[in-house]
Amino acid sequence: MDTFLHAIQSLNYTVAAVVLPLLAALVNFCLPVKSKAAGWISTIAILLSCVLSARVFATIWNNPQVHAQRIWFTIGQTQVYAGILLNNLSVLMLLLVSVIALPVHIYSTAYMKHDERYSRYFTYLSFFCFSMLALVVVDSLILFYAFWELVGFSSYLLIGFWFTKDKAVKANKKAFIMNRVGDIGLLSAIIILFAQFHTFDIDTIFGQNGLAHLMGIQDGKWTLIPNHLPDSVGSVWGRGTITALPALWQYVACAGIFLAVAAKSAQFPLHTWLPDAMEGPTSVSALIHAATMVAAGVFLLGRVYPMFIETELTILACIGCFTAFMAATIALTQNDLKRILAYSTISQLGFMILAMGVGAYASSLFHLATHAFFKCLLFLVAGIVIHQMQHIKDDNNLDIDPQDISHMGGLRKKLPLTFITAVIAALALIGLPLTSGYLSKDGILIQAFEWSDGRNAWFKIIPVMALITSWLTAFYVARLIFKVFFGEFRLLKDNPDIKPHLGDGGWPYTLPLILLAVCCLFPLFSFNPLAYEHAWLFEGLKTSARHAGEGVYHSLIPISVNVISLLLLFAAYRIYTRESRLPFPQKGFFYRLSYNQWYIDNLYKRAIVNPVLRLGSVCFWIDRNIIDGFLHLLTRISGSIAKLAAWTDEYIVDGFLHLLAAIVQSIGNFARKFQSGKVQYYLFSMLVIVLLLFILKILI
Amino acid sequence: MITLTDFLIVSAALFCIGLYMTVSKRNAIQILIGIELILNAAILNLVAFGKYDKVNNSGQIFALFAIVLAAATTAVALAIILNVYRRYKTIDPNDITKLRD
Repeated sequence: MDTFLHAIQSLNYTVAAVVLPLLAALVNFCLPVKSKAAGWISTIAILLSCVLSARVFATIWNNPQVHAQRIWFTIGQTQVYAGILLNNLSVLMLLLVSVIALPVHIYSTAYMKHDERYSRYFTYLSFFCFSMLALVVVDSLILFYAFWELVGFSSYLLIGFWFTKDKAVKANKKAFIMNRVGDIGLLSAIIILFAQFHTFDIDTIFGQNGLAHLMGIQDGKWTLIPNHLPDSVGSVWGRGTITALPALWQYVACAGIFLAVAAKSAQFPLHTWLPDAMEGPTSVSALIHAATMVAAGVFLLGRVYPMFIETELTILACIGCFTAFMAATIALTQNDLKRILAYSTISQLGFMILAMGVGAYASSLFHLATHAFFKCLLFLVAGIVIHQMQHIKDDNNLDIDPQDISHMGGLRKKLPLTFITAVIAALALIGLPLTSGYLSKDGILIQAFEWSDGRNAWFKIIPVMALITSWLTAFYVARLIFKVFFGEFRLLKDNPDIKPHLGDGGWPYTLPLILLAVCCLFPLFSFNPLAYEHAWLFEGLKTSARHAGEGVYHSLIPISVNVISLLLLFAAYRIYTRESRLPFPQKGFFYRLSYNQWYIDNLYKRAIVNPVLRLGSVCFWIDRNIIDGFLHLLTRISGSIAKLAAWTDEYIVDGFLHLLAAIVQSIGNFARKFQSGKVQYYLFSMLVIVLLLFILKILI
Repeated sequence: MITLTDFLIVSAALFCIGLYMTVSKRNAIQILIGIELILNAAILNLVAFGKYDKVNNSGQIFALFAIVLAAATTAVALAIILNVYRRYKTIDPNDITKLRD
């Protein structure tokens, strides 16, 4: 009875937590555009959401899942349910999203203070929070898809928030279009899943005794594998029937889901929108494009994880690994502060996908949670730095890009708190001990090595690449920190006459930084700072009891990662603070490859965008010249037919009638001439006619 | 000896003169005279063909009858001309074209 009441209470709290930001968005929508109340309405809503989420989290975590649903609509015999599914994964995400959103809201009240459309900003932000919170708790694939779209849509609104900037408009279009590619994948996957399982219920398909666990590929069919059947299968049985589809559809469904994940979580073929999305306000980048929305892809993977088969997981690992490596190499040479962080986000998301691929399910989600904190923190720091640079730029009418790190330097004395929190976040991102990043990232690396052990030697490439990527991470993060906070202020060196007034800012800036910085340290996640297995979060998400053995990797990996990372940090310190010389040739092939982001954008431009544009202009030409031309031809033909008809009508039909009339008239006129009223004339005419008659009579 | 043909020639001449006058004269009185001439031509014919009549002198009688009638019609016609003159201040039939359409 007690658990039942708890369940009801949790469900109510969850609904309230999800709906509060929506209410805030609605209220803000009705407020005047410049109203300062909007910020506080949204912040209070998200604070309440946060508290409620924490209550729900405390109730559900490591307890049996709570699942409530009711019939939403019925089509024919098919009943579609809608409801809420609370298990460890969803309550973790619920808490994570609201906890990350809270400091971002507080920060935004100060950051967006002078914006023209202050209340619109908070409308969008609250709407985003609502979509994301709803996304993580819904139990139906249809609702999931709907909120998935809403998340993409609100991201679109926020990227293009400063829509007067041409770049922002381009970026939000790009993000939206690339996300549409993923949405198509998700939609087709949902359709295939419904064809196979005849239900949209996530719990029935992917839950603990879900149908997906029992399925496999056999004889070219995607069907039930008898020896997967557990004993307690009965409860699941009644709820869905299973047909055997050809195996191809399983591959298509997984490919669709992968496409969706790649689009939302910015994985290799579809990652290019994320760096451009940095055109939005920095606080938005922190919330959406670093911490929460991009995690939706990983969350989706976590939800549908049971349906992937071995080969697909390997492909996933390869792509995650490649993305992580590629993004890290790009981040090495970028000069735009937010772009570096964006590529770092892509790289870390690659790590999460890699972890999913190698079966490190719990580590992946663990990294998702830790990454959210430190990446959000890094973005907020970047926001403060950019804000200060913007002030200098505006005060002194300088022609600089406020996001370019090559102008910065020595800011640690001017922005002490920002500096300290940035260092904590950076260390967590590198994965040094005593931070949360150490726990999650080393977990992924260790499990990747263990995974490759039992396989072909080629599979070793994946963990080795991941290892190299984590060293690259150390280097680019160090470059960022040293260039921004150490050395001397390069802008001041170039323009000696300016007097910058810099500061950390008021409590709306500092409080979120401190909050997030505390969350980046190990005690929040584990009391043992060195072993990821003891993190409560990891234990709560572990799917199997398979306990990682005390393998050789457990000591080797962290040591090698940390020692080499520290060496790289030292090297970066030497290079970037002393500025003795540039470490790498600035025009080598690899430099250009990295600086131009592997030419992927150029490739897409050439291979997809230009052909599409050309196709568009061809279609336009066809439309203009052939279809319109045909219509114009028709118009002209019917016009000339009409003209011909008009001519015929006027000259032939009317002409005939006029002729008749004219004949009649002339006859009449001719006859009228006789009616002259002169009596003698009548008489004379009569005489003539009579005479004529006589003459005729005589002649005939 | 005066033959029928001579009468008829005189009659035809009278008729033609009358007809010509009727058609060509510009004075209503003269037209009236023309009409009288035509009438007299007809009467002359009546008298001339009376030779062949089985009943005695019926041709002459009919001629007398016609003369009386002619006198009556002339009186009426003169009255009309008088009225026309009063109304139009002219008796030239070419000027009186009220009957025209």
